[in-house]
Amino acid sequence: MKLLYSQLKELIPALKASPKEAGRVLTMVGFMMDSLKEVKFNHGPDWLMSFEIRQNRADCLSVFGLARELAGYYGLKINWPKIAKLAFSKDRLEIKVEAAGAVKRISAVKMTGLKNTQSPAWLKDYLELQGINSVNLLVDLSNYVMFLTGYPSHLIDVEKMTGNLRWSLNKEFNRVTTLFGTVVPLKKDQELIIRDDKNIIATALVGSRAAEISLATTEVIAEVATYDRAVIRKNSRDLNIVTEASHRLEKELDPNGTRAALELLIGLIKKSAGGEVASALFDYYPKKYASPAIKFDPRLPGQFAGVAIAPSQAIKILKNLNCALKKSGAGYLVTPPTYRQDLNLAEDLVEEVIRLFGYEKIVAEKIPSLEVAPNITPKNIILAEKARDILTSLGFDEILSWPLTKHEANSQTNYLAWQEIATQNSINDLCPDLRQSMATGLFNQLAEYEKNNVEAIKIFEIGKIFGQIGKKYLEDESLGLLSAATQRSLDEFKNQLEILLRSLGLTDLKYFTAAHGPAAANPESCWEILAQGQAIGLIYKLKPRANKLNVYFAEINITSITALLKKVKNYPVVELTRKLISLDANVELAKNESIYKYLTGLEKKLDKDHLFSLNISDVFPLTDKVRYTIRVVYKELSDQEAKKIHLQAFGL
Amino acid sequence: MLETKIKNLLAELKNKLNQAQSLRDIAALWRQYLGDKGVIKLGLKEIKNLTAEEKRTQAPTLQKLFQEANETFKAKESELKNSLAGQSLKTEAEALAFTTPKIGHLHPLTKTIREINQLFISLGYSIMDGPEIEEDEYCFQRLNVPLDHPARDMQDTIYIKEPNFLLRTQTSSIEARTLADFPPPFKIVSPGRVYRNESVNKSNHFIFHHYQGVVVQKKVSLKDLFGTFDALFKKMYGPQVVTRYRNKYYPEVEPGVGPDMQCFNCAGQGCSVCKGVGWIEMGGAGIIHPNVMRQAGLDPKQWMGFAFGLGLDRWVMAKYNITDIRTLLGGNLSYKYYQDETAI
Repeated sequence: MKLLYSQLKELIPALKASPKEAGRVLTMVGFMMDSLKEVKFNHGPDWLMSFEIRQNRADCLSVFGLARELAGYYGLKINWPKIAKLAFSKDRLEIKVEAAGAVKRISAVKMTGLKNTQSPAWLKDYLELQGINSVNLLVDLSNYVMFLTGYPSHLIDVEKMTGNLRWSLNKEFNRVTTLFGTVVPLKKDQELIIRDDKNIIATALVGSRAAEISLATTEVIAEVATYDRAVIRKNSRDLNIVTEASHRLEKELDPNGTRAALELLIGLIKKSAGGEVASALFDYYPKKYASPAIKFDPRLPGQFAGVAIAPSQAIKILKNLNCALKKSGAGYLVTPPTYRQDLNLAEDLVEEVIRLFGYEKIVAEKIPSLEVAPNITPKNIILAEKARDILTSLGFDEILSWPLTKHEANSQTNYLAWQEIATQNSINDLCPDLRQSMATGLFNQLAEYEKNNVEAIKIFEIGKIFGQIGKKYLEDESLGLLSAATQRSLDEFKNQLEILLRSLGLTDLKYFTAAHGPAAANPESCWEILAQGQAIGLIYKLKPRANKLNVYFAEINITSITALLKKVKNYPVVELTRKLISLDANVELAKNESIYKYLTGLEKKLDKDHLFSLNISDVFPLTDKVRYTIRVVYKELSDQEAKKIHLQAFGL
Repeated sequence: MLETKIKNLLAELKNKLNQAQSLRDIAALWRQYLGDKGVIKLGLKEIKNLTAEEKRTQAPTLQKLFQEANETFKAKESELKNSLAGQSLKTEAEALAFTTPKIGHLHPLTKTIREINQLFISLGYSIMDGPEIEEDEYCFQRLNVPLDHPARDMQDTIYIKEPNFLLRTQTSSIEARTLADFPPPFKIVSPGRVYRNESVNKSNHFIFHHYQGVVVQKKVSLKDLFGTFDALFKKMYGPQVVTRYRNKYYPEVEPGVGPDMQCFNCAGQGCSVCKGVGWIEMGGAGIIHPNVMRQAGLDPKQWMGFAFGLGLDRWVMAKYNITDIRTLLGGNLSYKYYQDETAI
């Protein structure tokens, strides 16, 4: 919202603040000044001030509104422009409101005997400063009043109308040509329009060419209306029309202000273009808005601020903001002005008091001593942080990638039994789907690194993976790990993964040939990873690549291992009083037999109190079997005792 | 003469010892010259055949020659032992490989989040996360965002299934879930990824990273919030940072706060970085709106809270000299082999 400093001075004659200071004050009370420029206006130097107006303050999308705020801050009076009382005729304006639910209020009047011209220089200059082209005097005055009051208005050339005006939801027209000459396709039944018998005169957002004002115009209907803001917002988005009018109408404009805005416009037109009011005032206002009376304790602002604010000061501030106060018990009933539709609760009034009291007066000398609260950090966050530390210690670099990807990337990398989730409306249509595996981002990063000649690629990412089962949307925290090297190094990669998993607390790790590996994996080098008998992820070598690089990938489901680790009792510390005894045994199994199944059986036969470790120390393929050398390390036994147990366990 | 004989034998021994290569050679020479049947030992036994006068004049000299032979042996043995030990160390020695091993790095965003987490953990906060596919209820409704608020618009929100399922647009959804799931008091911070339906270019991305903080207890004030934010700003920008807090509307808080930092480029004088106003917007904050409390089943007369949020991406870009926001999420972000930032 832009305004000139001279306008503030004209409205608040007692204002002593410089443009910079006035801008600072408005910034601090909620309207951030985003630019201040020295300009020339009306033959003199001036300052153009621009402010950010947040969604709840439609009243301040106007010069009057911001002046009111400034006057309220300083406790100064406003010198409102004098509007001569209008003499309405008795002729009724025939206007129908068919879209009753969408219209809050319409104030309209007919004028005749106008003499339209080009605008005077000051008006043209003013609109230019606002970023609007001058059209002609009548149209420019309509825009000028919008900037002053915040209320958009329409002027309709009566001679171009075919029949009476109707406010309705479009059911008939396929398109509208706006005043700017743009042809906008309409969806029918959704757009709020002002129409006559044959044409759309205007949408609620912008006028049409059908009854536009020209220099030849002598007779107009002028209207100022407010609408259901949701309807306006939807129309604006559906039709892709954003105008100064739509910007205001999609906020909560006070319907009580339409008549005053119309009267100001008519007064200015009469003064500049002559003419007479030729109708009665049409005033459609079925549901009058009245401000709520809010119970308010004037001690509350001080409690919220954390510094002393005297109740008398709170009351003075509210009065300066034109609130009506009535004593009620220990507190007050506060009725805000109707243009402050954002004020409905005691907390809203608290904010009003504190912002005008001054946020800069709330000074915190130290970090506050807040209440002691329990640590509710979820375990998966702790686990993920630990995993990051371990992986960087192992030489892996962390990357972050897009969770949105292409369908092709998911079909190459997904290995889980869930459906892909697609977004409905992402404007980044190259990547419309949510990733199902961390591999999508890591593979992209690998490609980028290869392109940029980055060597020694060891990367990981922890993030969310997504999928759908039935109507349920699922997401898991997942760790992806990738290593690429010219030398074959699957064992080293697997060992680094295992260092990670065991450091996190997982012990019973097993690898089974994956029944359903992802398309990107070499099916001969793809294993499912189990811990404590539960699937936790996958490790695989990628299919052979043109550049002969050996690429290994593993994915671990952090959500699963977090749940798993809550159940694991892990006491790795033992007190040794005797030397460890290490004994080997060879076992031959058929190729399709599971070594892990064998080891599980073996573990049950061994006394846990004397078992220190159980490992496969060598694997040797035979013709139709595999020979495993199993090394058992016993603790707290003599040589003879260990040997006896060992021979029994292996049936030797 | 016996003395001459012994002197000649000693000279011969010294000569042979000089040529000895091993301890075994020395042992053999010992046996040959100084052993029980060694030529010097046998020669010395001839003293008993000398006259009393010859014994008196020659015996001390012969004794010295014997000692000298012993010492010569010891010296040679020691020399040879040292030499052999040196040869063994050489054989066992390993050379340093002066190649640079690869070390791992955390992503700049992770490092930044950890730095801020460190502050809040020291203040007794917990770290929280929540789903990225979020329900409308938690992303908007429970945060007092009315139906026609711009943030709900299809232009801003990426929907999975309109109107109920979407990708979270703000980490405030974690606030809504924590309020719903955990009894107060609690203090949490939530770093996390958020999504907006925007096209991707050098300066804009559809994925951002937010840092959210929420405190709910019996009583809080704006002064508590400002004190907390001051600590955060100092952690991020150093003790000299100048901050200000102004009123700013957010639907989920009342009163609302806009925290600003004085422009680091112009010290508040106004420049292109701060668009001439001298301050840089840093996020949003405020006292949690009573409607948000009520939606979580909490009585706003019993419980109060404050919440704050800020974006991380631009700060990380400035800190690490990254000029293209796309670099943060894949593509051309790489790590040097050495660290050039302060490690401690």
